[in-house]
Amino acid sequence: MLNYMIYILAFVVGSIIGLVYSYKKHGEPFVAVTKFNFLAAIISTIGWILAFNAGNVILSAIGFALAGFIMGERPGYGRKESAVGLIISIIVYLLSLNWIA
Amino acid sequence: MNLMAEILIQVVIAFLAGSLLLGLHRKIMARVQRRPGPPIIQYLLHSLKFFFKETSIPKTVSKPFYIGIVFILALIWIVGVIVGPVAHDSLLILFGVYAVYKIVEHNSGSSSGSPYGKLSCVRAVLSAATELPLFASIVFVYLVTGSMNIGEIIAYQSVHGSLVYTIPFAALMFFMLIITKSPYSPFAITKDKALISGFETEHFGLLRGFMHFSESIAWYVMLWVFLTIFFGPLNAVGYLIGMIVITFITGFINATTPILSPNHSVMTQITIGAFCFFATILMIFI
Repeated sequence: MLNYMIYILAFVVGSIIGLVYSYKKHGEPFVAVTKFNFLAAIISTIGWILAFNAGNVILSAIGFALAGFIMGERPGYGRKESAVGLIISIIVYLLSLNWIA
Repeated sequence: MNLMAEILIQVVIAFLAGSLLLGLHRKIMARVQRRPGPPIIQYLLHSLKFFFKETSIPKTVSKPFYIGIVFILALIWIVGVIVGPVAHDSLLILFGVYAVYKIVEHNSGSSSGSPYGKLSCVRAVLSAATELPLFASIVFVYLVTGSMNIGEIIAYQSVHGSLVYTIPFAALMFFMLIITKSPYSPFAITKDKALISGFETEHFGLLRGFMHFSESIAWYVMLWVFLTIFFGPLNAVGYLIGMIVITFITGFINATTPILSPNHSVMTQITIGAFCFFATILMIFI
């Protein structure tokens, strides 16, 4: 169970850092962001893929932290990017199980 | 692994996962109501924040009781983690944990000296009606599996398939308890906003922090028990998906349903419980 605790702690720390960073970067009152941030999407995709597919505690923890960083951004930011990252990582996970391939 | 280390790890997981799930619950309710909602991490940040806030104690409280009850609340849910995820022990102990939780809810309100807390304390007695469907649900699990031991129930399910297919209405009864315990539930009469925060109204700072800590663990433990005894055996991904799905469902229900008055709440729960009870008897014996 220690590895699950490390994953969840990594996700929480990533989320807190993401929230603080996001508020520093976007200080304006709430706006529904429609723009897609490619850099955030890439970070999120790498994070989720590492989290689910790394097969190594340290790499998975780094993955969860990166995924949490984007997912934990202030409301209105990082939603679509997180969704894209999560969907791609689930597809990669299913491919690795040889269910689809 | 050392038992104490295992308990500590499971309690940390229960607290963090429970907090994140309650944060997700709030987010889902907000999105259903077309609000942006707070970040998912917000519930956890709130809980941590309270630990560093000033703790003031009102003059009207019964001090030893007022302080002690909070630690008892935290302790009973830690016992819940030990009996459930750590030891896979008896369901009856978990039923006892829930019964004591109701008593703590009651006494937390009465010890505060606040009229809001006292009204919540009275309602806690009424809301104990939820324990009947919980008890019935546990009895049906026993009747089918022949055991109260969670480990043996998991073993039974690995041979005969998940219990949700055998006794779905018992699962529904347990699910009603989960709805009751979820934040902003239509059945959450002890935390009606007309009573400010109900039995928690007069608890500040560190004491409120412990209450949030207990609520997070309680949410995790109840979801874990529900998934384990009706959908077992599950792996970590199964638990994760199951907990998120249940949080989604309760979020949708709570976002679209107003809180019921105490008598309607109790009658609704008893009616659903009675229907599920007879339906399960029919399914088992006929």
